[in-house]
Amino acid sequence: MKCVIEGSNVKVFGKAIHALSRISDEMWLDPLEKGLAVRSVGPAHSSYGCFLFTRLFFQLYSLNISSPQAALGRCKLPVKSVLPLFRCSASIERSVDSCKISTGLSDTQVTFQLFCKHGITKTYNLGFQEHDVLQAVFPAHLCPNVLKAQPSLLGDMVIHFPASQEEVTLSVCPKRVTMRNYCEERDQIKVMSTEMSLHPEEFDYFHVGVDSDITFCLKELRGLLSFAESHGLPVYVHFGHPGQPVRFSVENMVLEASVVLATQTDSESEVSVQPGGSEDPAAPSRPQDAPPTAPPEEQVPSSQGSPVLSRPGNLEYFGLHVATDSGAHAAEPESADPATFRLHSLLFGAVSSPWPNEGDVLHTSLACASDTEEDNMEERSSATPMPIY
Amino acid sequence: MRFRAKILDVGCLNSFTRVVNTISKLTKTCTLRLTADNLYFMLSDKVANGGVSMWCELDQGNFFDEFQMEGVASDANEIYLELVPENLSRALRTAQNAKSLKAKLTKKHCPCLTLAAELPSLSSVSRVVTHDIPVDVIPRKLWHDFREPTVPDFDVSIYLPPLKTMKNVIDRMKNLSNFLVLEANRSGQMNLKIETDLVSVSTHFRDLGNPPCDGGSQGASQDLETMAQARVDIKKLQQFLSSQQVNPSKAMCNIVDKKMVHFVWLHENASLQYFIPAMA
Repeated sequence: MKCVIEGSNVKVFGKAIHALSRISDEMWLDPLEKGLAVRSVGPAHSSYGCFLFTRLFFQLYSLNISSPQAALGRCKLPVKSVLPLFRCSASIERSVDSCKISTGLSDTQVTFQLFCKHGITKTYNLGFQEHDVLQAVFPAHLCPNVLKAQPSLLGDMVIHFPASQEEVTLSVCPKRVTMRNYCEERDQIKVMSTEMSLHPEEFDYFHVGVDSDITFCLKELRGLLSFAESHGLPVYVHFGHPGQPVRFSVENMVLEASVVLATQTDSESEVSVQPGGSEDPAAPSRPQDAPPTAPPEEQVPSSQGSPVLSRPGNLEYFGLHVATDSGAHAAEPESADPATFRLHSLLFGAVSSPWPNEGDVLHTSLACASDTEEDNMEERSSATPMPIY
Repeated sequence: MRFRAKILDVGCLNSFTRVVNTISKLTKTCTLRLTADNLYFMLSDKVANGGVSMWCELDQGNFFDEFQMEGVASDANEIYLELVPENLSRALRTAQNAKSLKAKLTKKHCPCLTLAAELPSLSSVSRVVTHDIPVDVIPRKLWHDFREPTVPDFDVSIYLPPLKTMKNVIDRMKNLSNFLVLEANRSGQMNLKIETDLVSVSTHFRDLGNPPCDGGSQGASQDLETMAQARVDIKKLQQFLSSQQVNPSKAMCNIVDKKMVHFVWLHENASLQYFIPAMA
């Protein structure tokens, strides 16, 4: 894969890396037919971020499918090796003319080249690990609640919470939208509590099918919010009952970005995903019922696709809808135990099988792929880790 | 015990915020005393504070458009609350463009000072931000700990040099020594001195001016040139000087020779007194 980012888009790319750095210390570069996806998965698998830069974003974008290095979707890099290249956006604006990213020249390294003023070229060879790409599945079209807000509105909401505030609860009902800080019961006594509320009129679009209070990690979201504010992009929020994940997304002509966060479920709430099918209309449906033309923009299928298996659940966060391809029976996501108060994980599909026809993937599954060869698709089952220079 | 107050004027809100910010930089916790006419932020000279004490007095009429208070008893119409000023500062920080700010004493999971700011919005309905700041109500029997400190018989009273200059000097001296000698006389001269085994540094200020002397009883007999001095912990001094966000309209210090330094700041509508004891 080889791509060139020109001019002011270099700063945009850098800001995307900054936003993803809030989610995790590691990121994946995933070159697709339609563009470059950069993904990040939070440490407890409770958060996921993805920036897809379409071909229009690049001055040059070429994908060498036939190359033996085609398995380059699995390019996992530590964020801290990429972030310094884009650390200071003011100086990037001033001095960097273009940025070229190429893979495939080496088994172990991705090359970033910054072409700067005065004929200076900075070349960075960053070691990567071959690793299964994880991707969250999120059927946005099934979410009962959809909001669209100008980025400054969300910025005005979160500014009242200190940077150290981990989690917040967003409550929506037809009359009011409220955000308040969340703390565990035991911490509550001497902690200052803050609540911010405003009228639904302030949103560009406000559809609340079900009154809901969702608690999620604010820290991981701030990166996307700041990205949206700096580009003036409205933010879409899709969510449902507590326990179902929430997705924040932005898009324009040349990119789509989304952050999916797990939300807390509590002992009283009805958990929508049960083994053997759901009675909750808001619950994501099983793959056989899923509309065949799931809008592709809801998630970016990885460059490799194969059936997904549900993650065995010792993880505490709630599972998203899981789908497999070709009608194979979906592995059931772990149901929440209503008796205990706990968080649940996003279920991910790991992607690692050989290069299929991407079109098939779009039609048959909402999620993408995992290792067919192995039952155990834990992250730990990666290929030989590559040394990182 | 009841308390309700409201600020409607943005300028008053900004002023009040600046005072609270100063307090929050001086101490982690302090006592807020409410009377019918005034608010006081107080820190008493306990060992835990390193012996420093603070007394900040505000006339409520200068800040609040409404102020209603009912103390613990009719013969003790006051309320004493212990709180973390940083919480108050944080609550005020993002409310600077509020249309109104309401404060009241409430009982949530514990007693709280609740601040509610009404913010401008894009719709016809205002945005509201509410902060519940946990407080401890101090019982009446402990009130005597918080009496206004008596202004001591000081030896010298002098106006301070520009705070920024003083702070710059002290910041650098802090790297060299833990203690600083502050001395001044009635001729408008002040010296800041440090001395270690390796180095001694002193900075001299001239023509600072002395406030009219009505407190010091030794005034008449004292030689104008005699320096009164106090050796103080440099970090406490530095913390005090860093807490000021805006130059006070009047800044002076009173020195009791070898005993203590007493700083008096007069700010827009608020007065702040800060006592730093001298070390041997």
